[in-house]
Amino acid sequence: MISSAQYLAQDSEPWINTDTFINLFWANTIGGLEYGSIYALVALGYTLVYGVLKLLNFAHSEVFIYGAYATWFTFFLLGFRPGPTPELPVGELIAYLVLAVIVAMLVSGTTALVLERVAYRPLRNRGAPRLAFLITAIGASLILQQILFLWRGSNPEQAIRLLRPETLFNVGSASVQNLTVIIVVASVLMWIVADTFVNRTRFGRGIRAVAQDPDTAMLMGVNKERIIMLTFVVGGLLAGAAAVFYMMKIPQGAQYNGGFLLGLKAFAAAVLGGIGNLRGALLGGLLLGIIENHGQALFGGEWRDVVAFVVLVLVLMFRPTGILGESLGKARV
Amino acid sequence: MTLLELDSVSVHYGRIRAVHNLSLTVEEGEVVALIGANGAGKTTTMRAISGIRPVSSGRILFDGQDITRMKGEKRVELGIAQSPEGRRIFPGMTVLENLDMGAYARKDKAGIAEDMERVFELFPRLAERKDQYGGTMSGGEQQMLAIGRALMARPKLLLLDEPSMGLAPQYIQQIFRIITEINQQGTTVLLVEQNAQQALARAHRAYVLETGSIVKSGTGKELLADPAVKEAYLGVG
Repeated sequence: MISSAQYLAQDSEPWINTDTFINLFWANTIGGLEYGSIYALVALGYTLVYGVLKLLNFAHSEVFIYGAYATWFTFFLLGFRPGPTPELPVGELIAYLVLAVIVAMLVSGTTALVLERVAYRPLRNRGAPRLAFLITAIGASLILQQILFLWRGSNPEQAIRLLRPETLFNVGSASVQNLTVIIVVASVLMWIVADTFVNRTRFGRGIRAVAQDPDTAMLMGVNKERIIMLTFVVGGLLAGAAAVFYMMKIPQGAQYNGGFLLGLKAFAAAVLGGIGNLRGALLGGLLLGIIENHGQALFGGEWRDVVAFVVLVLVLMFRPTGILGESLGKARV
Repeated sequence: MTLLELDSVSVHYGRIRAVHNLSLTVEEGEVVALIGANGAGKTTTMRAISGIRPVSSGRILFDGQDITRMKGEKRVELGIAQSPEGRRIFPGMTVLENLDMGAYARKDKAGIAEDMERVFELFPRLAERKDQYGGTMSGGEQQMLAIGRALMARPKLLLLDEPSMGLAPQYIQQIFRIITEINQQGTTVLLVEQNAQQALARAHRAYVLETGSIVKSGTGKELLADPAVKEAYLGVG
């Protein structure tokens, strides 16, 4: 029988765990960048669509999770099964991963395109109010989830791993693994391609023109409907790529509602950086990933998501338009 | 040859009728002015010609083709460009990018470069400010940019909606001089103006619009001398 003093003492872990924070500082920062770059890619989809339509596309989280299923099925159809990680020659491994990225991008891009056609375009043609779009977005999100649920059930697909973890180098006290480098480098490259597309190409200028002033864009000869379609597709493609990186990090991540929380965080990342702003999506994503990792170290795992959203609220109190401010067009200022 | 013809065009905003049975023509090579008070329907007419505002009845013909139901972006390809009321510069784009937007519907790179040079000749100020963001420019500079941007489409018909609104007097003179110059280089111009004095002095012909209908038309000179026009729009009488 333990005394009440002893009983209470068992629960006397400090509320703020600064030791863990300091010991795991580098590990958590690097891990945060890894998650953060996935958030950033998904956040780009929210930001692009918001910029052009002023629409919070809640169903973007499902566009993402369809990419996760596409990844799993690509691995599965290539002959890989849940269980131990196979030994693959590097060239073969790269080929499979690139294939998965292509398939996932196609699936997510198509999902986004169909979503736009079926759910949003009819509303635009009827001049529906903003609220109707928002409700439709939530409805579309649920429908896309339930399709997965009916098809694959509520359990996640069993993890299929292709990449054997390997430590490449150390930063401070933390080791950096091959997976981390792949995810962060590939995500940043993807972001650069997206940013260049939006800021340097003709279609990108069309996207920015519609975002800044749709009527005047039409006076310039911009086909607004085509630009909207393009914007959804670009967001979908990026979400598909993000889904592959996500499935490499969390191989059991393909679950019918698995996009929800990640989508919410990516949306928060977009708002944190400044929605409608491509640089904001990158910055917000990376920051959010790092912050929630450190928050977990300081306050415990159950506070991970809370910390992320508290930080979001705090930032918005002082900078209502996010860290870098709004507007797709002003992304380069 | 008639370039633009509006045949009994009516435009509604909900149940409110902004333009009623309006008919007008613009001949190739002309400068035609549309004058009238605030809310007479001048801007609505321009928006209908460009396809931003749907027409509820009547027909719009351009270059002999019925464009009444044609999408706005297609009309740009046919040769209708507009510098809209309030200039509507893309604030987050540089001067150069704004001008590139004007040529969005075109594919002929050499021609675009040529027109860019021409715009910089007409508006040397824009050449000096190529990399400045549109949103940070003065009203006069924005107006030059809006006109330059419309010229980048190499239009057959240039629609100018209130090009002198809100500008300092030295800019107003300059803008009107440039409109005449653009016309002499071969572009047909339809001009909406509150500054009736300047507009009538520069226009070959003009229409007077009141509460959505044409009430008078004639050559610029005739209308300048018309007592009723003088009293209502020229601040004399």
